[in-house]
Amino acid sequence: MAQRPPDPATPLWRAAQVFRLLSCLYALGFQIAVNGELDRPAIGWALFAVLIAWSAVCAFAYLRGFGRRASWVVAEIVVVVALILSTEFVASGQWALDNQSWPTTLWATNATISAAILSGPAAGMLAGVVVMIASTIVKGFINYDLGRNATIVIELAVGLAVGMAAQTARRAHAELEQAARLAASHQERERLSRQVHDGAIQVLALVSRRGREIGGQTAELAELAGEQERALRRLVSSADAETPAGEMTDVGALLRKQASDVVSVSVPAEPVLLDTPTATELSAAARNALDNVAAHAGPQARAFILLEDLGDSVTVSIRDDGVGIADGRLDEAIGEGRMGVAKSIVGRMDWLGGSAKLTTAPGCGTEWELTVPRR
Amino acid sequence: MVVDDHPIWRDAVARDLADDGFTVVATADGVAAARRRAAVVLPDVVVMDMRLSDGDGAQATAEVLAVSPSSRILVLSASDEREDVLEAVKAGATGYLVKSASKQELGDAVRATSEGRAVFTPGLAGLVLGEYRRIAQSSTTGPAGGAAPSLTERETEILRHVAKGLTAKQIATRLSLSHRTIENHVQATFRKLQVANRVELARYAIEHGLDE
Repeated sequence: MAQRPPDPATPLWRAAQVFRLLSCLYALGFQIAVNGELDRPAIGWALFAVLIAWSAVCAFAYLRGFGRRASWVVAEIVVVVALILSTEFVASGQWALDNQSWPTTLWATNATISAAILSGPAAGMLAGVVVMIASTIVKGFINYDLGRNATIVIELAVGLAVGMAAQTARRAHAELEQAARLAASHQERERLSRQVHDGAIQVLALVSRRGREIGGQTAELAELAGEQERALRRLVSSADAETPAGEMTDVGALLRKQASDVVSVSVPAEPVLLDTPTATELSAAARNALDNVAAHAGPQARAFILLEDLGDSVTVSIRDDGVGIADGRLDEAIGEGRMGVAKSIVGRMDWLGGSAKLTTAPGCGTEWELTVPRR
Repeated sequence: MVVDDHPIWRDAVARDLADDGFTVVATADGVAAARRRAAVVLPDVVVMDMRLSDGDGAQATAEVLAVSPSSRILVLSASDEREDVLEAVKAGATGYLVKSASKQELGDAVRATSEGRAVFTPGLAGLVLGEYRRIAQSSTTGPAGGAAPSLTERETEILRHVAKGLTAKQIATRLSLSHRTIENHVQATFRKLQVANRVELARYAIEHGLDE
């Protein structure tokens, strides 16, 4: 049998059962006090026995956990409503008007609490309204005087408060779990990275180095080993990039993922945090610029990314040492509608409230300077 | 002197350097061994790996320089240019090279280091630049506490060019300076970080009563 994850609302369920016990005692007191006034006291006691038995079953079901589901809570609401409606049967109409509905509002609140714990404030308040409707039917009229009849207010308040508590408990638990998972996977990556680092990377680097010296066919092998060494090194160093720090993301980590044999990435040692959408857009704009380098700068071109954190703004420079763009060629390209990538970069930076500057000269490569202000 | 915890690497580097005409006076696999041997052989240049058997390269750099202040440290690391490399520079390393560098590049780098020239990569320039900016930002918010190291406009300009992949020669042409001047500027930025690091360590020691 699959182990069910522990329910973070368990303490609430337990507290609710303590409340259930107290409400049963209160209902017992009420039952003893009013029994003489009922039209059919014997049936009253019989129904009370049902109430106690049902309460015990519910408490057991909720404490053990198998009752914590919609069908069970709906059953509880139905029983509560049925018992409230039975007031008509055991007592006179006048009694119902003069007293709180049998078997006490306090006990009926159990259904509201269960619904709230199971499904949050909306469900809790809905259950409260259902209980209220049942008791209104018994009384036969709606009491608008909230000063004298606070039942609806209390039912709604209990549903809201308990529901929010349950929701908060679940959210906190989910966040805690995610944090623990992230920490665990981060640790594992660190461990792996150390192992890969000390073993595979060093040996690959050595093979590539020796191989190149020997030359001939071995040089080809060396080239392959070298490629793998660099790829592994990048993989290991960008492993931490996949851990976004909540709403903030390290742009440096995103940019480091772009590193390759022909792209060098320089970033500060400290993470450069921007809110996640900004960081993603900025890194995407840098990627656009790199795509441009690959497409237009020539086969020998290398690209260099520099990330600078200037406090109130963040700058990413993307320079290549390719063929550059001749004077006038840029305008010509815009005229021909072939500046899609450049437009996309400028568009992204505009959207971020930043700026994009392109400098180029024939034979001197191109350089984009992308700046975003910190908000 | 070659410091590396990986025996095959250590031997390979030592052999390459010997082939290139250098004399390898000692090898070591960890911080303690490096300090002990450096105190005896007083090496001109130490080729230093970042991951050692009993510590890291930054620590070893500091300890070797403590017993042999005239040594110059060239970091040869398989790791990417991250915090640990910055730490080594702060501890006094004047050069940084990745292990994927060729035999030729290694030889050139050791020669440059022995002549007192800085060996750097775009990645290292980006790190150093970032470190100065971090210092500038933290000293405006925190207590000033003496003179925080800062870059001159020229140094900032040069570091940015280096980080963007321009070679010293290309920067020299752009700024109408000599090749050597560019290297001196880069080296000055390293040195200021080292001095600041030492001052900080000393202040920490005094504040915490560790100087006795």
